[in-house]
Amino acid sequence: MNEFRAIAIVACVLIGLFFTLVSTVGVLRLPDIYTRAHTASQADTLGAGFALAGVALAIGTDATAVKAVLLLFFMFVTNPTAAHAIARAAHEDGIVPWATEDGAEGAHSGAGAEDSGTVPADSGGDVQ
Amino acid sequence: MRQNAGDDDRGNAPAAGRSVLVPVGPSSTLRETIEYVVDSALDSHETGTADAPTDGASEDRSADASGAPDGRSEAVSAGSDEADGTADVDSAHHDSRPVVHFVYVHAPDEFDPADETPELDDAEELLDRVRVWAEEDAGGEDRIEIRTDTVGKDQYLFSPADVAATLIDAARARGAGRIVLDPEYDPGIGAPLLRPLAYELSRDATLSIEEAPVQQRVRRAPLVGRSSARRIGALTGLSFLFYQVLAGAVSPFDLVTGSITAIVVAGTLSRISLSRDPTPTQTPMRLVRFLVYVPYLLWEIVVANLVVAAVILDPRKEIDPTMVRIEPAVYGALPITSLANSITLTPGTLTVRVQGRELLIHTLLPSAREDLFDGSLERGVRFVFYGRRAMRIDSLSDRDVAEIVPSQGNDASGSNGGDGS
Repeated sequence: MNEFRAIAIVACVLIGLFFTLVSTVGVLRLPDIYTRAHTASQADTLGAGFALAGVALAIGTDATAVKAVLLLFFMFVTNPTAAHAIARAAHEDGIVPWATEDGAEGAHSGAGAEDSGTVPADSGGDVQ
Repeated sequence: MRQNAGDDDRGNAPAAGRSVLVPVGPSSTLRETIEYVVDSALDSHETGTADAPTDGASEDRSADASGAPDGRSEAVSAGSDEADGTADVDSAHHDSRPVVHFVYVHAPDEFDPADETPELDDAEELLDRVRVWAEEDAGGEDRIEIRTDTVGKDQYLFSPADVAATLIDAARARGAGRIVLDPEYDPGIGAPLLRPLAYELSRDATLSIEEAPVQQRVRRAPLVGRSSARRIGALTGLSFLFYQVLAGAVSPFDLVTGSITAIVVAGTLSRISLSRDPTPTQTPMRLVRFLVYVPYLLWEIVVANLVVAAVILDPRKEIDPTMVRIEPAVYGALPITSLANSITLTPGTLTVRVQGRELLIHTLLPSAREDLFDGSLERGVRFVFYGRRAMRIDSLSDRDVAEIVPSQGNDASGSNGGDGS
């Protein structure tokens, strides 16, 4: 039983790590502030989410586990608020969202969504 | 002759003082504000017809002008459209009495689909009362033109900036050059409003903003909001429970300190923490339904996370960022916030702006966009706040309240906005 719990805890932490890693890669790879805000929130939701689930499991049935759940709840309230604040500030500042056409250097082609390539590996020039 | 002498000066401030916009609400100084507005409108109207209002000698000439217009009006009325001197003389004619617009700004919380009418009736009643008072102050209907209207009904105004933008639009639409604020004015958005509102309004240079110099009653506490026994009770209970959860084991010591803390918290914060009374039937139901909604939301988040993770890690997959605009059928501050939060929590969709009930959302992938237009989160939020029957609603795209914003067509400041900012 204890072994099973240990495996579950390790699994939770590993999954949390995985999503945090994905989030980091996303922030590096994605082209502009809006798309990066999408992936940055992943680290908070599932990354921290699974890590906290692991913590709750490790603590067990103690009332302290409730605190881990509460932490998660507050994170789920504050994380989108922060992401929204960033996106809203960017929008108010007049930052035009990166569109697929921009990556293909055909800014006004209009049909670029399908024929342009993959996620650009490095187009950090859009937002410094 | 004197009218003509003042014409040049008038040209610098076209229509200033001729038409006034006043936001009204149920404030304690409303009556005095109306009196001031009507008086000043009549005053500036009379001096304006005689002379430039900036001219120090205008006092002397106003008497002269009041008798003059009848003889002249025919000669110049044709030029009344232009913002020059001819309009001044014409404005003394009976066709162009000074115009005062009273507008009622709707607060977002008034639009529960269930009880829409009472608040709207209140607004109509208030505006009727305002009209009667204003005409009484003017000394007759024919000396001044009173127009009343409501604004913001279809918008969700939740900050002083939103209210200011609405008022400026309203002033422009009605050709008003001056906005007078009641010092106690508050459209009920639940925040101290007048200072920031005056500031936001003053950023628009074409309008002149003025606070009515009326005697203010005793000021309320800076954080407005009403308190009630129910709110205090609910907050006390909530604080107490939270304290006990944090304390862990229940002991007499924790019970005593918890009670004291809860009472202090409720006593000090009840005016700002709850915006409406919790009801014994509805609030627990909402909480229960919220507990049902949370696992569903978590599931949606996990699925969306996996989809986005695949796109980020797989170089062959492409993103297609697009701005979309939706107008979900949820009403009021808390439901809109819940929906916007849920949308942002789900990777692939990010709420960028909230204007009225309208949400501007950045979507990363076509699949995320389809899910959004399908309205599953909207149904979830409707379920939490309005019950199970409210879930039966067509998808957003079927109701035609979802649209894709063209990538270059948003209101950003031009094509260079994407670089360097």
